[in-house]
Amino acid sequence: MTQDPELQLALILNELNESSFVAHRDLNAALPAIESFGPEVTARWAQTGRDLFFHDRDAGKAFFRASAELAQITHGVEAWTEQARGFLSIRGSWKALTGYLANFPAAVHEFGVEDARRWGEIGLSWGREHRESGDILFTTPVAELSDGRGFAGAYELMGPLSDLSATRGLPPGLALPGAIKVRALLGPQAVLPWLKRGTDILKSGRLRGESFFRLEGAESDEALLAGLAGFRTSDHERFLTLFTRATLGLTPPLVGAGLRIGERPFVETDGRALFVPAAFPDREEALAAFLHHVGHLRFGTYDGGMLTRLFAAVGLAHPPLDDDQRITWRPLFAAYGDDLARFQMLFDLCEDFRIDARIQSLVPNHVPRLLALASARPPGPAGRYYDVAISSLQMIVGSAEIGGHWPALLAPDADLLVSWRCAQAWYQDTDLPSLALDERAAGYLPARSPNSQRPVYPRAPGPGEALEPEEGTGAPAGDGREKKPAPLATGHDPDMEIPPEDTAGSGGRVGVGRPQPGGWSPQRRRLRPPGEGIPYPEWDYREKAYRRDWTRILERSLVERDAACATGLLTQYAPVLRRLRRAIQSEKPHRPSPKRRQNEGEELDLDATVEHIVDRHTGSYSTPAIYRQRRPSVRDTSVLLLADLSTSIMQQAADGEGRVVDRLKAALLMFALSLEEVGDPYSIAGFASKYRDAVSYYPIKDFSQRFTAETQAILGGLSGRLATRMGAAIRHACVQFQGAGGARRLLLILSDGRPADYDDGGDSRYLHEDTRLAVKEATDQGIHAFCITLDATGAPYLERIFGRGHFLVIDTLDDLPARLPQIYMRLRKSA
Amino acid sequence: MRSLIDRLRGVERDIVQHPDTQTAPYYEPQGAEVAIFEAAWRRRLPVMLKGPTGCGKTRFLEYMAHRLHRPLVSVSCHEDLTSADLVGRFLLEGESTVWQDGPLTRAVKVGAICYLDEIVEARTDSTVIIHPLTDHRRRLPIEKRGVEIEAHEDFLLVISYNPGYQTVLKDLKPSTKQRFVAITFHYPIPEIEARIVQNEVEGVSADLAARLVAIAGQARALKDHGLDEASSTRSLVYTAALIAAGLSPLQAGEAALVSPLTDDIELAEALREIVTAHLGPV
Repeated sequence: MTQDPELQLALILNELNESSFVAHRDLNAALPAIESFGPEVTARWAQTGRDLFFHDRDAGKAFFRASAELAQITHGVEAWTEQARGFLSIRGSWKALTGYLANFPAAVHEFGVEDARRWGEIGLSWGREHRESGDILFTTPVAELSDGRGFAGAYELMGPLSDLSATRGLPPGLALPGAIKVRALLGPQAVLPWLKRGTDILKSGRLRGESFFRLEGAESDEALLAGLAGFRTSDHERFLTLFTRATLGLTPPLVGAGLRIGERPFVETDGRALFVPAAFPDREEALAAFLHHVGHLRFGTYDGGMLTRLFAAVGLAHPPLDDDQRITWRPLFAAYGDDLARFQMLFDLCEDFRIDARIQSLVPNHVPRLLALASARPPGPAGRYYDVAISSLQMIVGSAEIGGHWPALLAPDADLLVSWRCAQAWYQDTDLPSLALDERAAGYLPARSPNSQRPVYPRAPGPGEALEPEEGTGAPAGDGREKKPAPLATGHDPDMEIPPEDTAGSGGRVGVGRPQPGGWSPQRRRLRPPGEGIPYPEWDYREKAYRRDWTRILERSLVERDAACATGLLTQYAPVLRRLRRAIQSEKPHRPSPKRRQNEGEELDLDATVEHIVDRHTGSYSTPAIYRQRRPSVRDTSVLLLADLSTSIMQQAADGEGRVVDRLKAALLMFALSLEEVGDPYSIAGFASKYRDAVSYYPIKDFSQRFTAETQAILGGLSGRLATRMGAAIRHACVQFQGAGGARRLLLILSDGRPADYDDGGDSRYLHEDTRLAVKEATDQGIHAFCITLDATGAPYLERIFGRGHFLVIDTLDDLPARLPQIYMRLRKSA
Repeated sequence: MRSLIDRLRGVERDIVQHPDTQTAPYYEPQGAEVAIFEAAWRRRLPVMLKGPTGCGKTRFLEYMAHRLHRPLVSVSCHEDLTSADLVGRFLLEGESTVWQDGPLTRAVKVGAICYLDEIVEARTDSTVIIHPLTDHRRRLPIEKRGVEIEAHEDFLLVISYNPGYQTVLKDLKPSTKQRFVAITFHYPIPEIEARIVQNEVEGVSADLAARLVAIAGQARALKDHGLDEASSTRSLVYTAALIAAGLSPLQAGEAALVSPLTDDIELAEALREIVTAHLGPV
């Protein structure tokens, strides 16, 4: 082989000319930029390119194509030429090499030549182990890798990945993109634990591990949430909803919007629920965002009537509805074409201003808080919108003069339509720049967000949740407050227990479709033969009379048993149970308060003694009951817990973790075990209904029975079915108290929604009124009914049914297991 | 001089309180309660005051007693209160026995307004003895002495009762309830409540009073959501008094509006946030 570089080059050119026109052309094109570094460098370069070409044609071509620019940017050739030879040891390396060559200038810029070579070495070693890992490292932009902190920043990811690759066989490229996001989200310290967790999962299952590293699925969310910094919504959900309830009178259901990495924590709403990010940067932003979005719901941004008027104003006869009966916003903005983002921003600015001004009148630190949060003005056109938002807020608190389009929005009767018109007028004469859709997010102040992101369930006007449907009209379908049957667990449909003739009725599923107004027609169904089931009357408020023997209770036993589930729940809730037991123990008086005026006892009752002596003096008859006695008295409260087992308990919990029924099971177990500790006689039963002649009553534990493993298994196997005909169940439960003993009788009803049944004709008032009467009958029998509900919007109808102070709304499902026994203890203590 | 001794020793007063002829207790009428009470008084119908804690039931009665120039006998009922505690009992004095009237008997005799505060707390036997006093008989039987006392023509029985979560199992019997004319109290409307706070605590600005009332309005929305008793007018007056005594508004709010109401951490945080919203630095 000749040593003359020029000859060498000529040979290579010749060689390439014979094998590839393109490679030869590319080499020639790059040659002038390389030759200035001397013939030896040039020859070595050409040789490398040729070798790469014969190793992998695409790799060689990519090498020649990138060379001219590389030489120019890095002012050198040898560094990358020598390193590029490393790719000769990797099969199919063109992708990695292309990435390497594209990223090398940036690597030199970020790290310096020395560390750029280290970066290259690490990539090559990854590639040798696992080709795709090399591809991924070299195609990852260096800036993302370094996070602005030079090679140290890049190495804090590459180092642990290399180690885990060597020690535990983790393909480093698989985890790299996720690791970058995790670092952005949780900080560098969280990366290694996350990687280790992922490696463990990958070992136990490849697919699970891969989705973990893609940041998908529950395992990933769990791991990320555990390390999530900032103000975590799930930890403070109750506080935030209590605060909005107190200040704005609304507690919309919350839905976790999941982790959005690298995005701003926008709260969104569909007019019904709030979609909340997993975490906010801080408490202040969380509070402001919650207030702002509940404010939208409270002050009519999503009112159905208002939206219809808005669409009418734009010339659309009826707001278009999607399959879910939601209004979509898009047609409103269609007229603005490419300038849509600009108009949407103006509209949002107007509407947000209107809402924040209204909130400010109720929460005097709202706007000051928004202003304090607005400290990071974005660059570019979005910054202009940011400025406008700030100056408009300053008008509300009086630190800027009110002018422009804003005053109209401060009027007490300003509504969404006024905001729309303001935005239209403003659009005509604005000098605010056009925006691309992806620039838009930055233009919103912290706590605000695009208002028209999601299709909207139109809301009833006004404060909303306090409204009860008017009698006889039938509730508007899908207003979110009717109980809806939830999807059932696959392979298990409790409805199958019901004979087919019962499921072929006209009612359809509760809450599905539009309830039909007007009367019901029981004749269409064949009723159960007389004598089957225990008849009870039902109150018809329209007739103002009882319908005799109208409902039938069928006592059925629950067939499902799930001891494993019960044991699992008991393990999960062991700390709760321990706390409850301790609380009960501490409430049990060690030194019971004395019973007075006893015939025997440990000490004299002074009052009684004096009275006795006096009676003797005055000559009147007196028994010598002059002692005080300390002895634990027999408990005198008996309680029956009646659980609503309708379909809706099978729903996913609002926080997405598990189903409502799981907490219900846990709550009933906690309740039973607490009661065992307390020693009061108690009974547990469930109920569900389908039509008036099939109200199932499921005794779970009788007053006289003991709590056994069997009871535990029944509780573990609970599932939801059918609807909620509460009145009949209450009447039947009252009968169970006979012979139960206990001077005070408490009927605790645990429900998650309003009374409803398949044959109530959509007239929710009918069963409400009947339940109210059933509660009254219970009271007349000396049984106190108390309702605990999971329906956050239940207060208005429960007050009508049970009376003020005779119900409690549990806002957070997670609290139920601990709260249920506590509530009982509280009620009992007052007895 | 007299008042100095009083201050040093505390004052022993008779349970039958004659109204101070000079200064009337401060009371802001909220609705027709004064008219209803006066009408009931003219017909000597027993009255039941219903309403949440701290909304002014006791103050209303003091005001009415003054207005009608009747002495007032107040008894706070508790679970150990027996009928003897209300009616009276024999006491030993040397070798002989003397009868001592209980507060109810004294009120019946002198024609006072007898106020049984939180009657549900008392034992059932003591609620039953008031029955003959509440209908046309207007008599108080004293079994021990074998007599019945006919009530003074000006005697009036008033009970108070606070329906709610705590008393679900302790409700008054319907047979007892229906013997009374009921007046329901709510927390006053904001304007009146602000006026009350200003009147009760000297030197409270209208702005501060309005802010305090706004806090209470929002905090009351949390009743039945974990809060057993809502912020009362009394707790607003306490807050104002603490601020007037030199505490910062936030400290005063914490001490009188947050901590006493709940031990629940999140609920307390929500209440605190409401207080901060209205009293905090802006």
